[in-house]
Amino acid sequence: MIRKEAIEICMSKIGTSPIISANGYVSRDLFNVNDRSSNFYMIGSMGLASSIGLGVAIKNPKKTIYVFDGDGNILMNLGSLATISKIKPRNLVHIILDNNSHESTGGQPTDTNQISIDLIANSLKIKVFKTSSKNELQKIFKKIKKISGPIMLLIKIKSGSSAGKRISFSPEKIRTRFMDTL
Amino acid sequence: MKEKSQRKIFDFLLKNKIQDFIGVPDSTLKYFIDQGLKKKKVIISTREEEAIGIAAGISLSKNLSLVFMQNAGFANCISTITSLIQLYQIPIIFLIGWRGYLKNDAPEHEKIGKIQPDLLKIINLKSKILTENNWKKTCQWAIKKLKHNQPCALIIRREFFD
Repeated sequence: MIRKEAIEICMSKIGTSPIISANGYVSRDLFNVNDRSSNFYMIGSMGLASSIGLGVAIKNPKKTIYVFDGDGNILMNLGSLATISKIKPRNLVHIILDNNSHESTGGQPTDTNQISIDLIANSLKIKVFKTSSKNELQKIFKKIKKISGPIMLLIKIKSGSSAGKRISFSPEKIRTRFMDTL
Repeated sequence: MKEKSQRKIFDFLLKNKIQDFIGVPDSTLKYFIDQGLKKKKVIISTREEEAIGIAAGISLSKNLSLVFMQNAGFANCISTITSLIQLYQIPIIFLIGWRGYLKNDAPEHEKIGKIQPDLLKIINLKSKILTENNWKKTCQWAIKKLKHNQPCALIIRREFFD
């Protein structure tokens, strides 16, 4: 499964829920697969998508908030997992698209094949699901809709795929249209 | 700044609809933070940038929030402030404890302490120093900034040694 395919499956399951997506190819692929007002594309501030998602989740307890993160991104802000664990947002689903690399900057290794992000999250009492299969990914969504968060969904994807075109909206526009959906 | 004033500042901001206070503790701000902890309105984050991310999410949800930190942490945050808060025009109040304001503060605070006002200027983050006499007016200035979608910073100087 490549990143675009993983995002396509997620988008077919998520409905209209708000999404905070990490910078780089994650946001670009989301933009090209399914642009919608409730996508907040974080184009800078690498590492912070999960923190922004936590803030949105705290203030919108009736909505399920999804974060589309990358492996490089979460490694930059592992402390975020500790804070999520402490706050225990029932409505936060943290999806990590893990290709073991910093794909957006040329495919340099993150070495997440040697780092068990799932075990770190587990030890913090975050409910973790992990898969590299498209079929299983579809099934996991059925499961996570029945339980309360915080949830982490670690999707192991292949590296080496390029991203589509850059996000064409101004940051102010991304913000305003996202806020209007909350 | 005196304990009583710090507690009053917290209460004043809370009364003015700032509901969430997120940050990394600083001894210069300790009574302010303690007042927030007592009222269960504080989230202690692992890093200052993380606090800004959480506050940004709260702000996107149309709630007012404040991020507190020491100026050492503020220096860590320059990129986040410019590429998230200022880029998207997300209104947040930064409350920054100014270590290195006094000449003989601890050596690790000397360099950042000296350039603290310049750092704020260079990224064009509007700021004011809170004092015993001006705090109410200065907080009102910050709240007004938020309502116009503009981030800003309030500074408390470290005027004691321990």
